[in-house]
Amino acid sequence: MKTKLISVMALAIFATAAHAQSSVTLYGVVDTGLLYQSTSAATFLPHAPNLGHVYQMKDGGIYSSFWGLKGSEDIGGGYKVNFKLQGAFNTTNGKFGLSDTPGVTAIFNQFATIGVSGPFGTFDAGRQIVPMIYAMAETDVRSAQYFGSILTAWLGMNQAAGWPGTSTNAPIGALYDSNALVYNSPKFYGASLALEYAPGGVAGHFQGGTRESAVLKYSNYGLNLSAVYYNGHDTNPYPLTYPAAPAIPATGVDNNRLYYFGAMYTISGFSISASYALGKNPAHTNTADFEMISGGLGYQFNPRFKVTSGYYYLKDRNNSANHSGEFAIGAEYNLSQRTRAYAQVGYVDNKGTMNQTIVYGAPVAPGTSTTAAMIGIRHSF
Amino acid sequence: MNRIQLIVLAGAALMVAAATNAWSQTGSAPASVPGASAPATGGKADRALRRKVYAAIGTHKEIDAGNISVRAKGGAVTLYGTVTDAAQIGQVADIAKGVPGVSSVTNKLTVEKPLGGM
Repeated sequence: MKTKLISVMALAIFATAAHAQSSVTLYGVVDTGLLYQSTSAATFLPHAPNLGHVYQMKDGGIYSSFWGLKGSEDIGGGYKVNFKLQGAFNTTNGKFGLSDTPGVTAIFNQFATIGVSGPFGTFDAGRQIVPMIYAMAETDVRSAQYFGSILTAWLGMNQAAGWPGTSTNAPIGALYDSNALVYNSPKFYGASLALEYAPGGVAGHFQGGTRESAVLKYSNYGLNLSAVYYNGHDTNPYPLTYPAAPAIPATGVDNNRLYYFGAMYTISGFSISASYALGKNPAHTNTADFEMISGGLGYQFNPRFKVTSGYYYLKDRNNSANHSGEFAIGAEYNLSQRTRAYAQVGYVDNKGTMNQTIVYGAPVAPGTSTTAAMIGIRHSF
Repeated sequence: MNRIQLIVLAGAALMVAAATNAWSQTGSAPASVPGASAPATGGKADRALRRKVYAAIGTHKEIDAGNISVRAKGGAVTLYGTVTDAAQIGQVADIAKGVPGVSSVTNKLTVEKPLGGM
């Protein structure tokens, strides 16, 4: 009897709790296409053999495919409690996206956050896309898309610094951080600030596995400006040959730093962007020290149709034989509010052991030039 | 190392300059030379109206006016660029229409979802 009463009470509590939930949204994007690439490789190893040209179905020509659940509850006084659960998946095989552990996927690999928003700004805790990536996307005409953009250039820098591509734990900067606490300020005359801290949770080492970043942005009068500082400890602990070679234990080594400065200006149908970045391993600069320079130009013909292009240059400051230049151009046509068709072409000239890719998730042969073309469709729901 | 610090400082200074609203993007335009003839006055009025429209959009903190181009010609305003949400297309046009001196608005804004956004 007593247990019955308790369960009834529990039900009643849950029922009222469910009532206070103001809204939950199920949403997502499916993005898929066909890719031709003139070279390919199985890994990001610096001397990976060229496996030849490839013609394949490809997920994510603009951005990844993903789905998610999000909601927010108004708790009064201008404050809201927000949650977001979002994960990438691959449309070609249905698999979930990568987590921070090599070869392991996660259902919510993009966002698993709870936070509060109010007059002070927003605060979100959990795994999430970090502020530096938005700052880069907003100062790139190609918007850090998955095909030939500041994103693939930045990943090229990571590959050269020893990122095996099998987890989201990168040696220079980050796209996603687990355990992240992120604060975004409101805009003040167009200027805003984002701060991130991720406690590492490594026993015995206070600095072990921690991340900290600061982003300063300006957005008004057709002008976007971004400045990024990112610093991480014990990042990318997995060698290129993992799991044959074991992971490096976390001891609080400061081994990941990125500075990025970018600007984009929009005037009439034209957009112009430029950026400069430095990425290195501050504890061992001789192992990773890179420069990234970008320039972009785009034109919007009408509300349905636009063309964007970008040039991305990477340089190894430890070895002048390693450098890479990439040019990408893409046309996007909005078939409707929620569906977009696209066609893109890219060319990369990799020298030395460089292997900057043209499209995210399709490794190219290092030290040679590669051409890629992709057509696809992106639909949001 | 010093070089990096210099770049950090330069970047920060650039942002502060932009944030303090001293954005003088049209500074190099020859039309602003004093004593120039009639079209210059028109250009000056157009630029003033353009700044007013931006200032009005800027009061809505959820809109990124850095992605929006505002052109003004004799009270006729044309909007180009992107917003992050479909509802903002009409919202920005309404804000522009509400600025004194704006007689018409041509809206060419499109929606561009941010990375990882729906």
